[in-house]
Amino acid sequence: MLVDFELIKRAQTGESAAFNEVVLAYRKRTLGTIARLISRPEDVEDVAQEVFLRLYFSLDQLRTAEVFEPWLYRLTVNAAYDYLRKHRRRMESRMSDLSEQQVVLADAVAGGRVDHEVRQQRQVRETVDSLLNAVSEADRILLTLKEVEGLSLKELEKIYRVNENALKVRLFRARQRVLKALGPGGKESRGEGKAKAEI
Amino acid sequence: MSMTNYWNQQGDRDAELNALFRAYRAACPEKEPSANFMPEVWRRIEERQHSQFLLGRWARALVTAAAVLSLGMAAYLYIPHAHGTVFSFESYVEAIAAGHAVDSAEFVDPVVDEL
Repeated sequence: MLVDFELIKRAQTGESAAFNEVVLAYRKRTLGTIARLISRPEDVEDVAQEVFLRLYFSLDQLRTAEVFEPWLYRLTVNAAYDYLRKHRRRMESRMSDLSEQQVVLADAVAGGRVDHEVRQQRQVRETVDSLLNAVSEADRILLTLKEVEGLSLKELEKIYRVNENALKVRLFRARQRVLKALGPGGKESRGEGKAKAEI
Repeated sequence: MSMTNYWNQQGDRDAELNALFRAYRAACPEKEPSANFMPEVWRRIEERQHSQFLLGRWARALVTAAAVLSLGMAAYLYIPHAHGTVFSFESYVEAIAAGHAVDSAEFVDPVVDEL
């Protein structure tokens, strides 16, 4: 827990200063999670603000402060779902869709001005993003929480409110679908598997 | 392909995918919140509170108006009206008889032939 239970209880009673502290403590982590779930940097803050808005109006429904973190993850997942449903992901980003930072990076990569490590990281991100784009939003979110965020099955149980066995089945199926998208020889089906070879 | 080979290959691909996810986590940059993050959160909260407040006020006004209208109608129906009311205390038969005056006895008396 990044904050103590007492602070959450105070926030539940409607104390603005306590809620402010909770947001300050969790905003960076939430931004990171959302960035990996939706992979569109320009919309990450907007979705994170929506998460904290929902948190503010649903905090009184939280029974115990101990389950605050899974609760916040659940709100994050739901907001990411809503975002992904609204903005059906395009398989190929066009230059006009890229943020200013991405355009600068793309230019730099093309011009050979960034070092090998940055290029490699960019390729990894593009490869995994395109793999996750090839599966459903539900698979994408579940895999990101488990494999990228590193949440345990116990934590996922609390977030999804399903038992461990059901989660294992869902995870297995999601992984199989990603492996299928990765292609038979381990190369990604759309020929973007070059980053993988460099790992 | 034998089952052993299949599971070995599956295990290799799983390990490869795990490595890819690990590399992805390392490659994702930490996102720093902008200076406008907190003010924007509070602005949204206040906006939602304001719209909820307006909605609540509108709903209360509607409930009050409905209650006043119901009471008014109940009072109107309860108080007897001397004239012009559509309601009557006559029985059904009396009402029918009053509406069919042509059926009264003076018209249906037998005709007497005076020869």
